Amino acid sequence: MIDVQNVTKSYGAFEAVKDVSFTVEQGEILGFLGPNGAGKTTMMKMITCYMPPTAGTISVDGLDVITESMGVRKKIGYLPESTPLYEEMGVRDYLNFIADVRKVKGADRTRAMDRVISVTGLSKVIHKDIHELSKGYRQRVGFAQAIIHDPEILVLDEPTTGLDPNQIIEIRNLIRELGESKTVIFSTHIMQEVQATSDRVLIIDQGKIAAQGTAEELKASIAGQMHLDMVLRHADKSKFIEVVNSIEQIHMEDLKLQKNGDIEAALKVDAGTDLREQLFDLAVSNKWKILESSPSSFTLEDVFRKLTN
Amino acid sequence: MSEILAIYRKEMKTYFNSPIAFIVISSFLVITNWLFFDYGDYPFFAINIADIRGIFDYGAIVLLFIAPAVSMRLISEEKHQDTLELLVTMPITDMQIILGKYLSTLVIFAIILGGTLIAPISISFVGNLDSGIVISSYIGFFFLGATYLAMGLAASSFTRNQIVAYIMGIVIIAVFFLMNGMANGSGLIATLFENLSIRFHYQNFFRGVLDSRDLLYFISLIFVSLLVSSTALASRKSK
Repeated sequence: MIDVQNVTKSYGAFEAVKDVSFTVEQGEILGFLGPNGAGKTTMMKMITCYMPPTAGTISVDGLDVITESMGVRKKIGYLPESTPLYEEMGVRDYLNFIADVRKVKGADRTRAMDRVISVTGLSKVIHKDIHELSKGYRQRVGFAQAIIHDPEILVLDEPTTGLDPNQIIEIRNLIRELGESKTVIFSTHIMQEVQATSDRVLIIDQGKIAAQGTAEELKASIAGQMHLDMVLRHADKSKFIEVVNSIEQIHMEDLKLQKNGDIEAALKVDAGTDLREQLFDLAVSNKWKILESSPSSFTLEDVFRKLTN
Repeated sequence: MSEILAIYRKEMKTYFNSPIAFIVISSFLVITNWLFFDYGDYPFFAINIADIRGIFDYGAIVLLFIAPAVSMRLISEEKHQDTLELLVTMPITDMQIILGKYLSTLVIFAIILGGTLIAPISISFVGNLDSGIVISSYIGFFFLGATYLAMGLAASSFTRNQIVAYIMGIVIIAVFFLMNGMANGSGLIATLFENLSIRFHYQNFFRGVLDSRDLLYFISLIFVSLLVSSTALASRKSK
């Protein structure tokens, strides 16, 4: 449905997106995950025909975003970052304006208005002016305008930013609901969000794709891996490093020497191994005292942090 | 066309939902009529001649400050609120956006023009107005206002700040208005400046003659201003 091939976007000397390729299948919900400034918004602006890529091609349902821009725009409903709205307009006036530009007319208009008002739950505020609305309702108005022409594709740029936890859940449900019949791309910098809503995740960092796959696939790539945080007393730092390096399944992630001489180590342990006993024996033979040893399993959050640091 | 009208209707709603339209229209009419009837060395009531030229002389100056106030918000507000991004990603061309917005300001100006009819109508009861001159003067005044508004729109398309748009608009209009005073004599430069100046072409309408060169001049300025506005919107499209 959406085909991005070798796309690069530069702002002067700065490359916001670097040679990115990916595809989105029809009916798929794709979560765009990345830290702030990773290039998510730039990518979305190119897909929605706001600006062209510096190099590479993007096509939407077979239409090129530059040469067949109008056709692409008709297929897409777009909710830009921070939900820009005309503050001084009434909610109904605003939706009528969007329907006007999108050429949703007559009986179709009436049906479309009823549909978006019920889907986004706007009936309570439909007679208010936009500047009177809470953040949550503003977001719903943003959604309503994006779906008023019943587009095949929805592009949502950070749709849950700035909402309270209840509103976030409502918006996520809305994305899932809309995703049943539409192709959806949405961006976020929150891990749980993609886990909760998307079929597939694309992790983007510094303008490049760092990883992609379903949440399960990404988790599987690190399945069974464990963190092991240890604090040791009376241990010699260089000896400890030597010992850790001698065990193949353990990788040193961080090592800190505390003021009192204790060693604080963050270790990563490969899948399928439990080395706690072995480490205990090593500590005893070296006359180290283990003050703390706490294992924890890897989460998707770790994948994200690892890939985007 | 329906896209242009969609933008036009939205802008009209905005003008009339807020005090902007009311303030702009009433301030122009109050100031201009006051200047015409009761100000300066030759106030209408003192000179006792059935001539309404003063309306258009004073009007051209007052409008220099009023027209950019009408057009300053057109694009800069969209930029400031980030609504422009949504607008230009809908199936509508940049020129359609510009034309819809421009049309709304022309309608506001038409209301202003309607308001100035008080002078010729009331004077026609007490004296003999040359209706040919009145009509050609009104046509000139319409093109003058239409040009100011297009220039104000162009200024608005370069900034996200309405105050900057307003002042830029005034400066651009003033430069074109006063251009004939920038070079003296009868040399090539002086003739060029004169022919490029708004005031030079505007004055011709008061003789009661419609010269196609004057009309062409104003239409060209409007066309170029709208093209500049649309090009400014398209600047996002640079690769």
